[in-house]
Amino acid sequence: MTRPDFDPLSARFAQDPHAVYAELRALDAPYYYEDVDTWMLTKAAEVEAVALNKTMVRNRDHLLSEAERKAEQRKLNWHDMPHHERFVQTNLLESEGETHARLRKLVFREFTAAMIARQRDTIQAFVDHLLDGLADRDTFDFVEDFAAHVPGHIIGRVIGVPDVDCPQLRVWSEQVVRFFDVGRGEADKQLAEQATKEFYEYLLTLVAARRKAPREDLMSRMVEHCDAGRMSEDELVATTMLILMAGHGSTIDVLGSGMHALLRFPDQHQKLRDDPTLINLAVQEMFRFESPLPYFHRFATEDTEVAGRMFEAGTRFGLLYGAANRDPARFEKADQFDVTRSPNRHLAFGGGTHFCLGNHLARLDMDVIFTTLNQRFPRIELVQEPTYKPGLSVRGPIALEIAVRRP
Amino acid sequence: MTKITFIEADGTTVEAKAEPGMSVMQVAVNAGIAAIAAECGGACACGTCHCYVADEWVDKLTPPEDDETDMLDFVIDPTPSSRLSCQIAVTPEMDGLVINVPSSQT
Repeated sequence: MTRPDFDPLSARFAQDPHAVYAELRALDAPYYYEDVDTWMLTKAAEVEAVALNKTMVRNRDHLLSEAERKAEQRKLNWHDMPHHERFVQTNLLESEGETHARLRKLVFREFTAAMIARQRDTIQAFVDHLLDGLADRDTFDFVEDFAAHVPGHIIGRVIGVPDVDCPQLRVWSEQVVRFFDVGRGEADKQLAEQATKEFYEYLLTLVAARRKAPREDLMSRMVEHCDAGRMSEDELVATTMLILMAGHGSTIDVLGSGMHALLRFPDQHQKLRDDPTLINLAVQEMFRFESPLPYFHRFATEDTEVAGRMFEAGTRFGLLYGAANRDPARFEKADQFDVTRSPNRHLAFGGGTHFCLGNHLARLDMDVIFTTLNQRFPRIELVQEPTYKPGLSVRGPIALEIAVRRP
Repeated sequence: MTKITFIEADGTTVEAKAEPGMSVMQVAVNAGIAAIAAECGGACACGTCHCYVADEWVDKLTPPEDDETDMLDFVIDPTPSSRLSCQIAVTPEMDGLVINVPSSQT
């Protein structure tokens, strides 16, 4: 078999990663991606097995000597960026074992389905407000004019960030997140460090304000944890930054690709219009069909068998959730968008101890948004085929021009 | 072979075969019990495989560890017989185990 043309920064990949994923899935063994020294896994069973394997870690810094850690950091081009190292390279997502369990437990309560359900009225009011503001528009960019405003506003409310500051947090988040992808240029590096520094200084002010006058928000509770010695102030800042970053981009991306899927498959959109109670299944299918964070990595901490062969400790694996979620071995008619798909055991939220903390919030944002759009607009049409973001780590349309018809 | 009976919230009874080494969650998922969502896949990280162990079986199972007890604080309608099914490893002694399944995890 010819070697697949795996170039995640190419226009071809951005246009249709699923064709490339299918080529990788057809290989007998995992594909070795030399550029980042990583074995790419694309089959659902293999991706899931690694995500659930407790000896596979997101971060292996704790197993390295200081010199090895520095060398690793340099290899990733994550060196010489002190704020990034302190608050982005070290956080809940990048921790393991006791530290990860402790930090996750401190914030988990705020993200349970029951707690998140309390945000429904807030989300509805904000979505209505945004759509009222578009009342004189028959066409608009679904992503930039509408969807991009929602997740940041809501996660800002959960944390306790004033509404007026949410747009700036999105800017910082995107500047930091951009430097996670496989292409890591110098300009992006400087931007990521500068954004982290400004983000940090902003959060310090907010921490001080909540310490002085606590409110009913996550920031106040984290300050309480901090003052009781359950987390350090650096951990508080890093956790907040992570939640804010995670709460922005990926939900915006899946809102865009989800809307696009409904427009590409009008019969499925009609099914949802005919039976709005399908919304939970439809949202899960949007996550499966175009997983907004299609790629995460794990390191083996011991010699391990993966996909039928042995790999040495230290091997880096790429978990291509986006590919696993189109694996025909797990999903019948995997390339078909089906709003009634059930069961739908997709891996878009990852798996194992790092399972997406904010999944209920993202799903509720989407539930309210698509239900409201269908109620307000009897017809929604695509004006122009969208271009998707380039890269391996994110998946979503850059813009999505739609035309709406009101009753 | 070990047999586990799941009683769903609407009263439907499902008998499932279990092999040692599986978790009760895996047995439920394989048997198509939709209310055992088990979204994290079995890492005690999401709290969506909550179930109620039948009273007569509660004391026969290995008690939950701290991680599971902490997570049980977050499930809907916990009772003293609440467990996370991903944390119950099947043993041959569990033949005849009865599990009551909640209507939903959210």
